[in-house]
Amino acid sequence: MIRERLGPIVLRLALYASLTAITFLVCFPLIWALTTSLKPKAEIFAVPPTLWPQAITLENYAALLSGKSQYFQAEGQAAIGTSPAKFFMRWFANSAIVTFGSTLISITVATLAAYSLTRFRYWGQRFVPYFSLLGYMIPSIIFVFPLFLMMVRIGLTDSLWSLILGYVCVTLPFCMWLMWAFMRSIPIEIEEAALIDGASRLQVFSQVVLPSALPGIIAAGIFSMIVSWNDYLFGRVFMNSLDNLTLTVGVMLFFEGTHVDWGLLMAASVLMTVPMALVFAALQRHLVAGFGAGAVKG
Amino acid sequence: MNRKTTVLPDRIVGLLFVVPFVVLAAVFMVYPVIEAIRMAFLSYNPLRPDLTTFVALANFAFIFEDPLFWDSFGQATVWTVLSIVFQTVFGVGIALLLHQALAGIAIFRGLLLFPYIVPTVVIALIWRWIFNPEIGVVNHALLAAGLIQTPIYWLSTPEMAMASTIMLNVWKYTPFVVICVLARLQTVPLELYDAAKVDGAGIIRRFLDVTLPQLKEVLIVVIVFRTIWTFNKFEEIYLLTKGGPGTSTFNLAVYSFEQSIASLRLGVGAATGVVMMVMLFLGSVIYLRVSGFGADEKSS
Repeated sequence: MIRERLGPIVLRLALYASLTAITFLVCFPLIWALTTSLKPKAEIFAVPPTLWPQAITLENYAALLSGKSQYFQAEGQAAIGTSPAKFFMRWFANSAIVTFGSTLISITVATLAAYSLTRFRYWGQRFVPYFSLLGYMIPSIIFVFPLFLMMVRIGLTDSLWSLILGYVCVTLPFCMWLMWAFMRSIPIEIEEAALIDGASRLQVFSQVVLPSALPGIIAAGIFSMIVSWNDYLFGRVFMNSLDNLTLTVGVMLFFEGTHVDWGLLMAASVLMTVPMALVFAALQRHLVAGFGAGAVKG
Repeated sequence: MNRKTTVLPDRIVGLLFVVPFVVLAAVFMVYPVIEAIRMAFLSYNPLRPDLTTFVALANFAFIFEDPLFWDSFGQATVWTVLSIVFQTVFGVGIALLLHQALAGIAIFRGLLLFPYIVPTVVIALIWRWIFNPEIGVVNHALLAAGLIQTPIYWLSTPEMAMASTIMLNVWKYTPFVVICVLARLQTVPLELYDAAKVDGAGIIRRFLDVTLPQLKEVLIVVIVFRTIWTFNKFEEIYLLTKGGPGTSTFNLAVYSFEQSIASLRLGVGAATGVVMMVMLFLGSVIYLRVSGFGADEKSS
């Protein structure tokens, strides 16, 4: 509103103050999770709570990365065999595989189809955007069970493939919508010029279209990764052996003991957030391309 | 004429490009949804699939006579309306702040959008930790500040559990509103403000008369989208409260999940899903109307 000539310094300071206050409030839960994960066991339950750890420890992270839960050992619990920390790295790898796999399939299929839809004419092409829009409005809870029964029939239950395909069916509609909107905005003249110069359609696609579609592809990729990495429902319904769980489902099992190891849980939460935070930080400016094209999932 | 010769092999390339999408969409999107609708008319126990029978509208009769379904419906409405109101107000406010030309605004922008990418599981875990009645930092802070005398049981009383899930939802999805509003704000012509200033309009008048009308369209779209998604959210509630205490934070998604998983009545769960889809479809029609999507299509 008051963009030009912000006027008095007081106003500027007030803006900074309110921004800082809001940012602190918004980030506080994450800051608190981080500090909790760095505190020794005794300090976690200190009254009053310490904002910053008095003695920083990495034991929670070490427990997760090495697969040994110190808490259970220290307490002499018999439950060591099923200590969730043991599987943490395995779950992490599973999540990475299904996220990468489903994102790769979704953006490849969507990019090819979007190109075809915006450059060729055939029956039914008008319906695809509507279909995609409707597809990404439908909540997963509606098709998760039919999809599961289908996976049972084709023998894919408890396999990472079932999750990859499941996430494709969640992410493909909005990747499609985004890529369609994006491809439409790429001017067709350069392609036509290249075609007239004798370039083949595939050459045009890989050398002219793909580079200009890259921002859209990246935006679709980020959204698709976030959705797959963060999903809980599909992992919960599709998988049943401890070895094959994804992070989100696995970490919720930390609650199924008699006592909750908050330090370990917060460390797991931090490690789960880091990959998406890195992706987000690296590619944040491309997100705008996605929101600009109107494709978002929430 | 000249084009025709190159168009023919081209057409085949073009059709080949769309084949993977059509196959995947048919097998993994259309088929499951049709199955979900078919299941709504069956009595289906996943442990005894051999006993599956066609029950016509019995599943719908079941849910419409189930008080829990209506409770879930009502709670979902409360949850959705309050979430959307707070998200919209905070989202517009934060977007207006972030729109200022200040040094370092990019850092604030990055941090304020961050909650959107945090996994719901992580937020639910953090929420359970900071809102823990005995050892959580929120109660400590409120007690220390003298705002409350006894700890608040955030997740174990119906009202507070509802409030906690709303806070979680608002925290996670306000960035969504911020991004959309911010993108729109950047296209508002500055001349409009100058003109308003010349007319002697103050900050509040300028917001009401210039900014708000410009934001109207994007806000309608955002509110429709968020309403549809929020109403059908599953993880945000289930992971924090499992629909509890009791059934006080059930919504239709949690109801459908519990019917399917806990009671093994997949047909009833599917019927709930069909009801959700009908409402969602109505919402989408509203969206397409207000966004002018169809008109846009014709011009291209």
